Amino acid sequence: MAASISYDDVEVGTELPAQTFPVKRENLVRYAGASGDFNPIHWNQRFATEVGLPDVIAHGMYTMAEAVRVVTDWVEDPAAVVEYSVKFTRPVVVPDPEGAVVEVTGKVAQKLDDRRVRVDLTVTSDAGKVLGVPRAVVQLA
Amino acid sequence: MTTVEETDAQAAKAEFLARLKEFEGLHCESGVLALDPVNGPMIRHWAEAMGDTNPVYTDAEFAKTTHFGEIVAPATMLQVWIMRGLHAGQPGGDSPVQRLYDLVVEAGFGSVVATNCEQEYMRPLRLGETVEYDQLIETVSEEKTTGLGTGHFITTLVNIFVRTGEGAEERELVGTHRFRILRYTPHKRKPKQEFKPRPRRVVNRDSKPFWDGVDEEKLLIQRCTECGTLRLPFGPGCNNCASLEWDTVEAGGLGTIYSHVTMHYPKFPAFDMPYAVALIELDEGVRTLSNIVGIPHDEVRIGMRVALEFVQHDADLKLPAFRPVDQEA
Repeated sequence: MAASISYDDVEVGTELPAQTFPVKRENLVRYAGASGDFNPIHWNQRFATEVGLPDVIAHGMYTMAEAVRVVTDWVEDPAAVVEYSVKFTRPVVVPDPEGAVVEVTGKVAQKLDDRRVRVDLTVTSDAGKVLGVPRAVVQLA
Repeated sequence: MTTVEETDAQAAKAEFLARLKEFEGLHCESGVLALDPVNGPMIRHWAEAMGDTNPVYTDAEFAKTTHFGEIVAPATMLQVWIMRGLHAGQPGGDSPVQRLYDLVVEAGFGSVVATNCEQEYMRPLRLGETVEYDQLIETVSEEKTTGLGTGHFITTLVNIFVRTGEGAEERELVGTHRFRILRYTPHKRKPKQEFKPRPRRVVNRDSKPFWDGVDEEKLLIQRCTECGTLRLPFGPGCNNCASLEWDTVEAGGLGTIYSHVTMHYPKFPAFDMPYAVALIELDEGVRTLSNIVGIPHDEVRIGMRVALEFVQHDADLKLPAFRPVDQEA
């Protein structure tokens, strides 16, 4: 499964297939266990509100990792992403039981050397951007 | 003009910042071994939590058919391999970064939130590899105030290696993880507003028949049985002939705004400020004070046609109110 997308087939502006990721408390509890990040703001409503948050919020690393799947699913090669950076601008608030929805779109923003491209993502939840300037450098075929 | 207290506070802040700045550039934690080697169960749990079903993470047979030739860990799982388990972030550690965290917590910045993450992935990690890492404190910001509160941004860089070579003397950089957190004091939250009920109805011997009518969703007008003069509010005697004899008629419910004011101040918690109060001339000819509902207070106009309705403000309080209707009515 080398990158299935060829550098020659994309242009600046090429859009990646958008994806929508539902986030429930259950996902956060599982992610806490799987990642080793047990900060109670990610699973304990009482604690989260005491420190001034509106409710339990998703792990930033969870949102970050979920968002980049728009890239890895597009190129079909999880090793194609070579750099990835985000700002955690606004937390993904995950109320119980309804949860939240993270919507991700992406497009090729720049063609780089060595058959690499820069993909800029737009990551929103509850009609607001939750990640600031999420960018991935992607190795294409 | 600055007061002595302000000058002292500024000096204390500058001194604290100088102590924080001493941590910049400190290499803490060199060559720390991960708690666990890269392993199938942790990868599976992580991929399940993310809902990522790519078989290259979990299915050895499938992975053989890929250019990796074997199972690899998801790239964005990089940080997981350097986490320190349940005791992470607990006070008492002796690394510089832990001492820095203890210092800011002691200064009152007890809350923490992640603000930035930048990662580089040199190559995917494979089963059985045990990473080791070096951590560097890159920057500590001056005191900043954000939407969450006031505190300091702390940026750390973790370089992640795998040992290679015959005697494992070489370190191969497999990834980098730059992480910025805000250690902060939350803004004070406004106390929750208690439920403040509206003023109660004043019910006396004269007004009781009126309020009984309201309870049945009828707006009653008093009528002198001697001279037929209508009056509102209810009173003991006729303003025209002084008779004490009366009965009631039910208002048709339509009227016209005769005059109005907007209440801006004082702010009563029970009311949505500002709100309109109007003197309504009922079609029967008497006037009554009431609230205008259904339009913003600044769109209320003299001459507007309005219709009666009843508003249940709380379990014990029902009041008449008026809502604008089609102006031809």
